[in-house]
Amino acid sequence: MHAFDTSGSNLSRSLRRIARNFGQFWRRFSRNKLATASLAFVILVALVSVFADLFYNYDFVTANSLENAFLKPGESGVVYFQDRDVEHRFLLGSDNYGRDILGRIVHGARVSLIIGFVAVAFALSLGGTLGAMAGYKGGRMDTLIMRVTDILLSIPMIMLSIAIVAALGNSFFNLLLAISITLAPRYIRIVRASVITVKDQEFVEAARCLGASDLRIVFRHILINITAPIIVQSTLNVGTAILWTSFLSFLGLGIMPPKPEWGNMLAEAREFIQYAPHTLFAPGIAILLTVLAYNLMGDGLRDALDPKLKR
Amino acid sequence: MSGEAAAGMAGAEKNLVRVAKLKKYFSTPFGNLHAVDDISFDIRRGSTLGMVGESGCGKSTTGRLLVRLLEATAGTILYDGIDVTTAPERDMKTLRTRMQMIFQDPYSSINPRHTVASLIGEPLRIHKIVHNTTEFERRVRELMDTVGLADRLYDAYPHELDGGRRQRIGIARALALHPQFIVCDEPVSALDVSIQAQILNLLMDLQEKLGLTYLFITHDLSVVKHISEDIVIMYLGQIVERGPTGELFDKPLHPYSRALLSAIPLPELDTRRDRIILKSEVSSPIEPPPGCRFAPRCAHVRPECTAADPALREVSPGRFAACVLAERFL
Amino acid sequence: MDNLLEIRDLAVHYYSNRKVVEAVNHLSLDMKKGTVLGLVGETGAGKTTLALSIVNMIRGPQGKIVQGSLRFNGKDILAMGRQELRGLRGKDIAMIFQDPMTALNPVLPVGDQIAETVIRHEGLTRAQGWKKAEEMLETVGIPGIRSREYPHQFSGGMKQRVVIALALACNPVLLLADEPTTALDVTIQAQVLDLMRKLIRENGTSVLFITHSLGLVAENCDEVATMYAGEIVEYGTVDQVFGRPLHPYTRGLFGSLPRLRDSQRRLTPIPGLMPDPTALPRGCYFAPRCPDKMPVCGEIHPRDHLFEGHRVKCHLYGGNGREAGNER
Repeated sequence: MHAFDTSGSNLSRSLRRIARNFGQFWRRFSRNKLATASLAFVILVALVSVFADLFYNYDFVTANSLENAFLKPGESGVVYFQDRDVEHRFLLGSDNYGRDILGRIVHGARVSLIIGFVAVAFALSLGGTLGAMAGYKGGRMDTLIMRVTDILLSIPMIMLSIAIVAALGNSFFNLLLAISITLAPRYIRIVRASVITVKDQEFVEAARCLGASDLRIVFRHILINITAPIIVQSTLNVGTAILWTSFLSFLGLGIMPPKPEWGNMLAEAREFIQYAPHTLFAPGIAILLTVLAYNLMGDGLRDALDPKLKR
Repeated sequence: MSGEAAAGMAGAEKNLVRVAKLKKYFSTPFGNLHAVDDISFDIRRGSTLGMVGESGCGKSTTGRLLVRLLEATAGTILYDGIDVTTAPERDMKTLRTRMQMIFQDPYSSINPRHTVASLIGEPLRIHKIVHNTTEFERRVRELMDTVGLADRLYDAYPHELDGGRRQRIGIARALALHPQFIVCDEPVSALDVSIQAQILNLLMDLQEKLGLTYLFITHDLSVVKHISEDIVIMYLGQIVERGPTGELFDKPLHPYSRALLSAIPLPELDTRRDRIILKSEVSSPIEPPPGCRFAPRCAHVRPECTAADPALREVSPGRFAACVLAERFL
Repeated sequence: MDNLLEIRDLAVHYYSNRKVVEAVNHLSLDMKKGTVLGLVGETGAGKTTLALSIVNMIRGPQGKIVQGSLRFNGKDILAMGRQELRGLRGKDIAMIFQDPMTALNPVLPVGDQIAETVIRHEGLTRAQGWKKAEEMLETVGIPGIRSREYPHQFSGGMKQRVVIALALACNPVLLLADEPTTALDVTIQAQVLDLMRKLIRENGTSVLFITHSLGLVAENCDEVATMYAGEIVEYGTVDQVFGRPLHPYTRGLFGSLPRLRDSQRRLTPIPGLMPDPTALPRGCYFAPRCPDKMPVCGEIHPRDHLFEGHRVKCHLYGGNGREAGNER
């Protein structure tokens, strides 16, 4: 069919265009070695958490095996699991209940990542919509949205999330909600500011002159021009969300043991810091490296995407 | 007159655009800014009206009022008998297919994230004029050909192109809906002279071929002389002089027009003329006092100039000026 | 020796993305004392780069003067140390740029900025400096009492007057004016240029007047140089160049201008675009756009040809003119 052919050639043309744009972006990004290494680490963590079940059985890392408590990294022990004794090597040792620390970190990564991405996606859609409305419409709508944002921002962020979880009760969904609501004001601000700078450009006027609707202008002309700061902000926010998940869990307000989560692993290990410091170091280092990687990657993305720095 | 004959044949009025008592005030913390203050003019079908003035005189505001990018404070803009200032949203959408605008800055008026094809084709999509990709591509390529953009640029991004080519995109985009009337807001002032000439030629060719009517806004008097049949000179939101280009350039009637014309640097040898150097600078457009706006800078100022706004009056057939002394310069 | 400035075989390159931008190419130019030389050309011709080179302000690592010499009053500018250069800039050679805001510090009163310059270069006391600043402002038509005001309190035209006062405060020998009135309206431009002309005449200052407007050159300059792709393609007195432009590019510029006098309907623009400065064509840089192109133009870079001081870099004049110097 003729029409089919054209769309085919359109598709291949678009693909080529995307490849060309990505090539340019990658050349700039890959100059930053630290950011590239961070990206590799982030991908590694993502793969590990997606395929966590291939490495460790979930029931295995949540089941107690008190006779193996506080094994040193690399030591082996016999675990009674699924009605039989299994010889198991604890690569990073075991915790106070004799659970495999590496296994719990691998499954904890999955929790952190899900919360990180879902919370950021939720915050982005909420904050992005409100920010775009405030910036594009201006006037009373802008005043209302921004004052509410100011109020949210004046409450210390961690207090806000604690308050939300404490009020709504301790659950996975409420944790997500708490983190999203605390992240949303950041998006409101950044999207509003970007929309305001873009909306006064002549091309927006040109689109209005052509008869484009507000919705079309916002999506096809404004948002498309502010993707770079949003991507950068989101990368940094994933790091923040992971940190807060751990922090709330550490306080006992997030994911509760025996479910593996880096923050609650830290909380449990805290008591044994002198006796078995490895139980504390492992989740601590996991949090540190992951959050650091997201931040470094975000910085690298900013340099690569920001046209002002284009050489 | 040939213009009249043409209009008679079309069975329509000879003036495509009629602006009457148009006002646009912006409120500021210091009072109302009179950006456009009671101006009236007509644009003949198929002709070019040049609108000249210095920054802040209200010429760009006027252009934006005409295509309703701004809402007028008072007055009427009749486009082919329809009042643009009060037309409901639905009628505006059809009106927008008939009047378009070309913008000054070829950099900021083109969305950097879209390809040439998607920029030029945008109006076709908005008004759902084409129904499939084949037709879309054919129309866009046709438009690119009309404005002299090479076919291979179909998928190019604006940042790969120079100012002249970007301006051609802006022109193609304006032409996509087959408008009759185009507001050209300083379309060549951001371009180098050699490119400027290319774009001016293109605009004139298009006018001839498609029978377009232009409002050509510019601060460059040589450009306006070159392209327009009639001229309006604005100062601080008001029209100070209006008339046919040739006559107005030969014998400007308003003291401001005289100073403006004498200030043009001419690229010729034997033209070290006497020029009129104006004293001081443009006064504030916020709550201007009554009387001639130009009086504080005028060399011929008299007591009656500051008493009331001088009306724009017909000094000789076809020549209008807002000055009590206009006859003196006839 | 009556040459104030001698530029010989100057080449300036910028380095970006592993590409070399040849901004100024083997350019030679003399400026006599007390003349106003107009430098015309389009965006990207290298006009501003040339001006910055004259005060040795091409910044590494992106930009570099790779070849040539610049002599000001017989002294080699490129061999000067930091201290000597600082004494030269602002004192002997002053600059006016297109945007007055880049020359004025927004957080200092304008009088302070002029005073600082004269105190540094002329060794005046603070009180004398302020007095001089007020005098200079009066000269450019700004009441002395406004010297305590900040740049944002002045309009565009007034700001450019302040910049002129600042530039002329130390009686410079050479003034580099880079599009000094492009940002101004015509009537204000006329005021500012009128003032500049008067001050320049009084002080005998030489001026390198960089502009894209042939009209401004005709009305303000004694000599004119046309610049294209980093080269001077034509040089002569205003009478010579405007009376009989020789280079096809200069002629193209004239053809592109709408004239007030004639009533021709069509302009004759120069087709095409300026060549990519990272990949200049072989032979004459203008050849791809030239209406008078000959086979030789695509092969060999043209030399300068001299006709009674009127210099042109074009093969059209190869047969019947004396060749100038031994530039390539």
